[in-house]
Amino acid sequence: MAVAVPGQLNLDESPSWGSRSVDCFEKLEQIGEGTYGQVFMAREIKTGEIVALKKIRMDNEREGFPITAIREIKILKKLHHDNVIKLKEIVTSPGPEKDDNGKLDGNKYKGSIYMVFEYMDHDLTGLSDRPGMRFTVPQIKCYMRQLLTGLHYCHVNQVLHRDIKGSNLLIDNEGNLKLADFGLARSFSNDHNGNLTNRVITLWYRPPELLLGTTKYGPAVDMWSVGCIFAELLHGKPILPGKNEPEQLNKIFELCGAPDEVNWPGVSKIPWYNNFKPSRPMKRRVREVFKHFDRHALELLERMLTLDPSQRISAKDALDAEYFWNDPLPCDPKSLPKYESSHEFQTKKKRQQQRQHEEAAKRQKLQHPQQHARLPPIQQSGQVHPQLRPGPNPQMHNSQPPVVAGPSHHYGKPRGPSGGPNRYQQGGNPGGGYQGRGGQGGGYNSGPYPPQGRGAPYAASGMPGPGPRGGGSGYGVGGPNYSQGGPYRGSDGGRGSNMISGNRNQQYNNWQQ
Amino acid sequence: MAANFWASSHYKQLLEQEEVDVVHSPDKEKGFTLEDFKLIKMQMSNYIAKLAQYVKVRQRVVATAITYMRRVYTRKSMTEYEPHLVAPTCLYLASKAEESTVQARLLVFYIKKQYNDEKYRYEIKDILEMEMKVLEALNYYLVVYHPYRPLSQLLQDAGMTELTQLSWGLLNDTYKMDVILIYPPYMIALACIYIASVLKEKDTTAWFEELRADMNVVKNISMELLDFYDSQKVTADERIGAALHKLALKP
Repeated sequence: MAVAVPGQLNLDESPSWGSRSVDCFEKLEQIGEGTYGQVFMAREIKTGEIVALKKIRMDNEREGFPITAIREIKILKKLHHDNVIKLKEIVTSPGPEKDDNGKLDGNKYKGSIYMVFEYMDHDLTGLSDRPGMRFTVPQIKCYMRQLLTGLHYCHVNQVLHRDIKGSNLLIDNEGNLKLADFGLARSFSNDHNGNLTNRVITLWYRPPELLLGTTKYGPAVDMWSVGCIFAELLHGKPILPGKNEPEQLNKIFELCGAPDEVNWPGVSKIPWYNNFKPSRPMKRRVREVFKHFDRHALELLERMLTLDPSQRISAKDALDAEYFWNDPLPCDPKSLPKYESSHEFQTKKKRQQQRQHEEAAKRQKLQHPQQHARLPPIQQSGQVHPQLRPGPNPQMHNSQPPVVAGPSHHYGKPRGPSGGPNRYQQGGNPGGGYQGRGGQGGGYNSGPYPPQGRGAPYAASGMPGPGPRGGGSGYGVGGPNYSQGGPYRGSDGGRGSNMISGNRNQQYNNWQQ
Repeated sequence: MAANFWASSHYKQLLEQEEVDVVHSPDKEKGFTLEDFKLIKMQMSNYIAKLAQYVKVRQRVVATAITYMRRVYTRKSMTEYEPHLVAPTCLYLASKAEESTVQARLLVFYIKKQYNDEKYRYEIKDILEMEMKVLEALNYYLVVYHPYRPLSQLLQDAGMTELTQLSWGLLNDTYKMDVILIYPPYMIALACIYIASVLKEKDTTAWFEELRADMNVVKNISMELLDFYDSQKVTADERIGAALHKLALKP
């Protein structure tokens, strides 16, 4: 048993129960920042193992341990899969206040809780936003297959992820992809009639049924998000970047056609259908817009971006799709190129410099947006992977040796203001939410395709940056402070307290989220 | 919560009776017996159920809260973890874990209503502080499987839905003991069905045989439950009072 004498640190390696102190870890670098608190890259002192520490801040909580953290812990404790992020343990740090005897223990609830995760080098959005980055088709297939495998596992275990998006898909340098951030996830049962909140999933990845206000839904919501990511990987940029909920629905209808009782039986009974139903007829244009995709990819995408959730393809069936069984086959994760990552301790100074460089880059990027737009995939399967050595700062590439290249997380960077209507407080922030995405409209001059951004119906260029990319989205339930976050995003803070305050107005019993 | 009990932390955490029946040394020093320990846990189970009625949460939340409380006391002493605080805290935590959130404020209101005795009246901050301790004592394992769902399914399979009410009541009473920490939920459900069928004189031999459940376990649980009812015939109040008095002794 590992009980420390009061005032001493508990550094035992693995107590049979109870939690160790965060002092068992040496914080190396902050890799995420949000209203919730912080995410750190850290090293376990005893083993030298690198981990990610996600802080659950407690000091602002009026209702104790945040329910969102409870959900996440509950779910992560029961999921064990190669494609799901592993929660290694939970550690605590005593609060700032001490009682008269200097005893720390008593005020633990004012301290912090950290969730300890395995460290991952990148997230999918960060990786694909690297300047010059181009995924190959076998690479995309490899990521997609891992995503679907992990998600299928969740769904079999009756867990809905409810926030599938690129920044929540972590990738390590072995090419493994893992689902992360289960702060919005919850369990469901097939016979379960309870109502769930429809205010989940980052706006751009949110399925039409949620936007139309349904409160009874299932795994199909996650599959819509997967479809959006799939198309994004192939297309080179987000396909449905709506600014708010009505616009999001409109973009969906423009791409997938207007829902009616023929293509989606029962749609007219969904709460907000009448408010949002389009006034003019709209045709499904998926095949037309993405005609440059290969046949099998298009076929699979069509089935993911199906309006009617009951007809939408399941993760299991998607894994059986022709796409994954035809040349070029998905590659072995281990064969993927290893992108520079920073496992070495980086000093504070370096970090600051880096930030300054980033700031500079951001400003430059705004002026020359076309330089760093994301590229569509390379088609030839046999092609050598471009050896990329992108640093955190694209502008530095040619002039600096690529030694301190950062991992391509984008947590910490303001990738987008809080999504959802009326939550665009950061919208006026010049360039705020959009660096790395700037000027995608015209960025395809070097790809094998004609520049798709130009004149495409979803051209994102020129948008001041209202996208919910980086983690902010419309599920703050009226909260102003749910902004960006990385994949290890803390689940208290904005979202947590908002969810709870949402609950408060409800009947306490049988309330389902 | 999930489809698969066998892969759950609950299954992995099932304990042996001897592991559950441990009076921790700080309590022992006060002359606490195993009987006292059990009585107080029962009393606290009742307390949780009572508070739950006030704040209106589902039976499932009550069951989870009691399970938390019982798990805590497999590892912690009552001297360090005051039962009258642990009990409402477990209800508070369970209400979150089971998606039926109850405000701490509300809970505190009803605690005060319940107890005039200054000693057992706690404030919000006490609950929140104890919540962290309870979470830690539970090692953050919050998923609990209960026998309620298996019970309804089994009764339906057996075509004996007329036994529902009786076996459900029996099941509620199992939470006054530690069986949830020791046996898989469906076994507990089967024991309740077994007793109910005997009481209602329904012949279930064939059905149980077909089920191929381990009847030794089913009968063990049933015996425990029946023993428990027997012991309840002697009024427990006095004994509970005596046990609580011991706990109140200063070490």
